Amino acid sequence: MNFLIAPIAVGVIAAVLGAVIGIVDRIVNNYGDVEIDINGKKTLTVKGGDKLLSSLAAEGIFIPSACGGRGSCGACKCKVESDVGPHLPTEIPYLTKEEIDDNVRLACQVKVKENIQIRIPDELFNVKKFDTKVKSIKDVTHDIKEVVFDLQGEEIDFKAGRYVQIVVPPYGKIRGSTQRAYSMSSKPSEKGIVELLIRLVPGGIATTWVHNYLSEGDEVELIGPFGDFEKRETDATMVCVAGGSGMAPFKSILFDMYEKGELDREVWYFFGARTTKDLFYLEEIKKLDSKWENFHFVPALSEPQEGAGWDGETGLITDVLDRYIKEKMRVDRDKEGYLCGSPGMIAACNNVMTANGIPLEKIYYDKFA
Amino acid sequence: MKMTPELKKAQENMQPGVITADGFLGDEKRSLKDIIVRDEEEMRKYGLDYEETAELLRELLEEGRKGLGEAVTVKERWLVQTFESRGPLPCPFEDGIFKKVTAEITDKKSGEKILVSDMAIHMMEAHRFLEGIGSPFRLDPELLKKVVF
Repeated sequence: MNFLIAPIAVGVIAAVLGAVIGIVDRIVNNYGDVEIDINGKKTLTVKGGDKLLSSLAAEGIFIPSACGGRGSCGACKCKVESDVGPHLPTEIPYLTKEEIDDNVRLACQVKVKENIQIRIPDELFNVKKFDTKVKSIKDVTHDIKEVVFDLQGEEIDFKAGRYVQIVVPPYGKIRGSTQRAYSMSSKPSEKGIVELLIRLVPGGIATTWVHNYLSEGDEVELIGPFGDFEKRETDATMVCVAGGSGMAPFKSILFDMYEKGELDREVWYFFGARTTKDLFYLEEIKKLDSKWENFHFVPALSEPQEGAGWDGETGLITDVLDRYIKEKMRVDRDKEGYLCGSPGMIAACNNVMTANGIPLEKIYYDKFA
Repeated sequence: MKMTPELKKAQENMQPGVITADGFLGDEKRSLKDIIVRDEEEMRKYGLDYEETAELLRELLEEGRKGLGEAVTVKERWLVQTFESRGPLPCPFEDGIFKKVTAEITDKKSGEKILVSDMAIHMMEAHRFLEGIGSPFRLDPELLKKVVF
């Protein structure tokens, strides 16, 4: 029996040490209740010691976050007006020098240990969490799914162009929950549902889950609406460019405009795809084109296949855009750019648009892409 | 090769949930040092050079970016589609920050594919780390030989 004495002794010592550490941790790291003052308009009382992002979320204030608080997206920026210590090495890569000087912090990295004051956009007060049920899932191309979520009696108020965050639960080898942002393709008048277009990104956590694991009837949390991408209320010609699932906000904006009878505004919609199998909603949007005199839909294929019967525009969407601005659009009209796509696509479109006289400050896009 | 404190730290950073949700080691239980040594042998077996392979992958990724999110045919042999996501990713070896750019490279003839990221190319070139077996971004030497050479 003597051989048991040593392991038992080690076990007892480890248990005692563990208990002591637990007690000390509770005493030393017990910050009690602390207050978060938001914009000088709302004060929350929360348990001290937690991260700002999660403390706010627990009280129903949702700051955008594409990684779910893992510190890998840099989306959850907010201005902290109180002294919460220097910026952490985990924050600095995501912040500009101006943001650091302006006390902008990543809410997922800052711990709330004492009363603090923060500033966030007022719109975030309207962001809600929705417990939804998947109503339908439809393949619109070989790699894009249209997913409709039923809000189960709740309603969402938003402007066309906004996005929501989908909460992806742990699945397969993915141990933690994560969040990803997707533009809504449903119209603001469809208050009881949210429709998203989700393209499969190989190796992508959220898109793999949607494409390979999600089924109709599943329960899914959505958080939103977020963003500031929207149609500006001017008379300028709208020049919209998208590819792939970048279709989503434009489907919402265009069908919302049509529904509201805003038909005097001139709108050009350029949609880039590689082949005919990457095109979708073609009939619906061509129908809109035929009913709305000032709306012009220009789908373009970069690599049309022989025998596919394509008689539309060909080439990179930026080349088609450049040609149309120069040759087809009225020069006497102010123009605004509206973009939805990858950072590379947005940079390329910015170049074409600015070279054709559209000021950079009149080119709008969501920066979460 | 020794399991240095730097490698130990890198291995910690490669666990699921630290930098990325699914980590960099896939299903591997062996140490980072052992993974690197095993893959050096694999690279030798298939006659692949780390720098040359990284250069070719980087070239394909850059060509793919010209498609602005849509797939593009490169040199009539490959179909390359790039995907870009918000924000940068720190390298688990703590020597750089990388954009989240991923390319799916498909050999049009065989249909075989390999997934490459900006950071995976860096880790191959600078650290001889190809990611663990089971990781979606593993640059498997046998697959590399088939798809890109």
